Amino acid sequence: MSDTVESHAEPAVPIDPANDFLVLDDVHTHFDLGKALLTRESKGVVKAVDGVTLTVKEGEILGLVGESGCGKSTLSRTIMQLIRPTSGRIFLEGKELSALSDKDIRAERINFQMIFQDPYASLNPRMTVLDTLAEAIRTRHPGVKGDAMRTRVSELLRTVGLNPNQMKRYPHEFSGGQRQRVAIARALAPEPKLIIADEPVSALDVSIQSQILNLLKRLTREMGLTMIFISHDLSVVRYIADRIAVMYLGRILELGEASEVVDHPLHIYTRALMSAIPAPDPRAERTRARIVLQGDPPSPINPPDGCNFWPRSPVPHDERMKHEEPHLAEIRPGHFAANCPFCLQDA
Amino acid sequence: MALLEVKDLKTSFYTRDGVVRAVDGVSFSVDRGETLGIVGESGSGKSVTCYSLMRLIPEPPGRIDGGTAMFDGRDLLQMSQRELRKIRGKRVSMIFQDPMTSLNPYLRISTQLTEALRLHDNVDKKTALNKAIAALEEVGIPEAAKRVHSYPHEFSGGMRQRVMIAMALITEPDLLIADEPTTALDVTVQAQIMDIIKERQEELGTAVILITHDLGVVAGTCDKVNVMYGGRMMEAGTAEQVFYNPQHPYTRSLQKTIPSLQTKGEQLYTIPGLPPDVSKPIHGCAFYPRCPYPKTGLPEGNRPDLVELADGHCYADCGFCDSSAPIESVLSTDVPEENEAAGAAE
Repeated sequence: MSDTVESHAEPAVPIDPANDFLVLDDVHTHFDLGKALLTRESKGVVKAVDGVTLTVKEGEILGLVGESGCGKSTLSRTIMQLIRPTSGRIFLEGKELSALSDKDIRAERINFQMIFQDPYASLNPRMTVLDTLAEAIRTRHPGVKGDAMRTRVSELLRTVGLNPNQMKRYPHEFSGGQRQRVAIARALAPEPKLIIADEPVSALDVSIQSQILNLLKRLTREMGLTMIFISHDLSVVRYIADRIAVMYLGRILELGEASEVVDHPLHIYTRALMSAIPAPDPRAERTRARIVLQGDPPSPINPPDGCNFWPRSPVPHDERMKHEEPHLAEIRPGHFAANCPFCLQDA
Repeated sequence: MALLEVKDLKTSFYTRDGVVRAVDGVSFSVDRGETLGIVGESGSGKSVTCYSLMRLIPEPPGRIDGGTAMFDGRDLLQMSQRELRKIRGKRVSMIFQDPMTSLNPYLRISTQLTEALRLHDNVDKKTALNKAIAALEEVGIPEAAKRVHSYPHEFSGGMRQRVMIAMALITEPDLLIADEPTTALDVTVQAQIMDIIKERQEELGTAVILITHDLGVVAGTCDKVNVMYGGRMMEAGTAEQVFYNPQHPYTRSLQKTIPSLQTKGEQLYTIPGLPPDVSKPIHGCAFYPRCPYPKTGLPEGNRPDLVELADGHCYADCGFCDSSAPIESVLSTDVPEENEAAGAAE
């Protein structure tokens, strides 16, 4: 990782590390690609997360939306401290996670847990559900054994809608949706306060997706959890999240209440993302005007300067867009967007 | 006459654990220039249907047990491998879901693009290459003359899928089978790719069979829609008929589960239970165990026949569900989570 990161101006998103539940203060996560073998020229830096300032309130579900390669997964791993940020600070309940040692982080991590996209890969195939969950429970309650443990595991399985009789089974004996339930149970086992769900329904069939979404939403409410829900699918996030952050090339482009962001998007990228979702309605689809973006999402290796959206921008723009760096600004009350004049026009 | 007419197609896999009836009596037809969408969840048999038409089912364990697939007057299922080879890649071509694995990483794009032309049209290398460059330009690849000599790993996912489309259409086929062509791509790229397929289809008059699980993609592109479940057809009709007047409870439930159609704050409607296990014989209607309608009949009934409701609009009518009843009155949004647990604990 590189050491030097130029810091942005004063963050527009107000942060209060002492009182807010989760605070990200100008977080950068960069990966240095090293030097070329002979010429010793730098191969560049992947700016996966490039200056993210964000707060998450206790008990809320924050939806993090973006295309592949936008840095949303790196951001989630940075919050988990699985990858240490290059610069910037992360606070959970006033405690600075980014300053803790690896050993202290491990003790702290029972308070924040993760659910991964692929339940086929994230469960150990050689451990029964009981073993998997017992291991997770012991991280908080080291002494629990035997019948007491089985009671706890049964309870957990019932919470996520699985039959406790199935605790002796192995992951391969379950369907995709059931495995994701096991993964959710494992994340809940250490009684965390924060859950980061990284595309938890993308690998599932539509009819199973809604079951898992309902479950996650119910659990956050009932257990008073806070959740960061990562997805590339705005229609899914719209349903589950209280607030939505839209990410592009390592930066947040738009942030606000879910209904505000979905119904009155400010940034042209959010609008394009919305219009790219095909509506299940043939007549509407045929007549609808879409904002079509140019090309693919660019690579985060040496990303474009200025408003990093310019290479794909469908709106007319001039040189200023390529040089003037936009910052998140509060455009409407509680609704922030990167203040690039070209991206925000006729919003 | 329809370009492709499939009647009562049956494909099974004979495994050690029993016979998996992946496709169990599917019939449909596609006209020239038309787009047919086949919708279903994983395991519904939508991909196996199309692989059977191309005779790409690994035999054994797979076997096409019956049915006919008349393509331009000749039965694809009875053809010799020799005859088939003349059709595959020339008159019928295919785009697969994952552009990362469906291109050969060892060969340049130019080699892979021109292969079909050299084999089927007997053109010389130079003409083939020029055609390949033109094909890449048509699917929106910049600097095609230079890029044609690249290897697949030098392209992004969306670009690779464009190459796949260019490759599939280079011989100007009569029928293009697209198996989840955009599932592995980002939504913004998905929109671009679907536009390209539509555009090229209009120019060439190709018929398209689009396999997908996404009702939104179907709504935007397809003239006709088949809804599959448990290897069987549940409903078929024009996009308008299926979307605005769905008859089968499965179609109705599937439509209800789409998050974008639901009001925020309410609980999402879910179809209780799990998709059927096609390795066990299914009695009566495949959707019976998950059907939200009050169950008055017995599951051991006869298999429901496809009943034609209006011009071309068919659905598997089991005779028990009153499809005139508004689905809202039947569906309860408050499905207890325990249903699945009970259903799965066999």
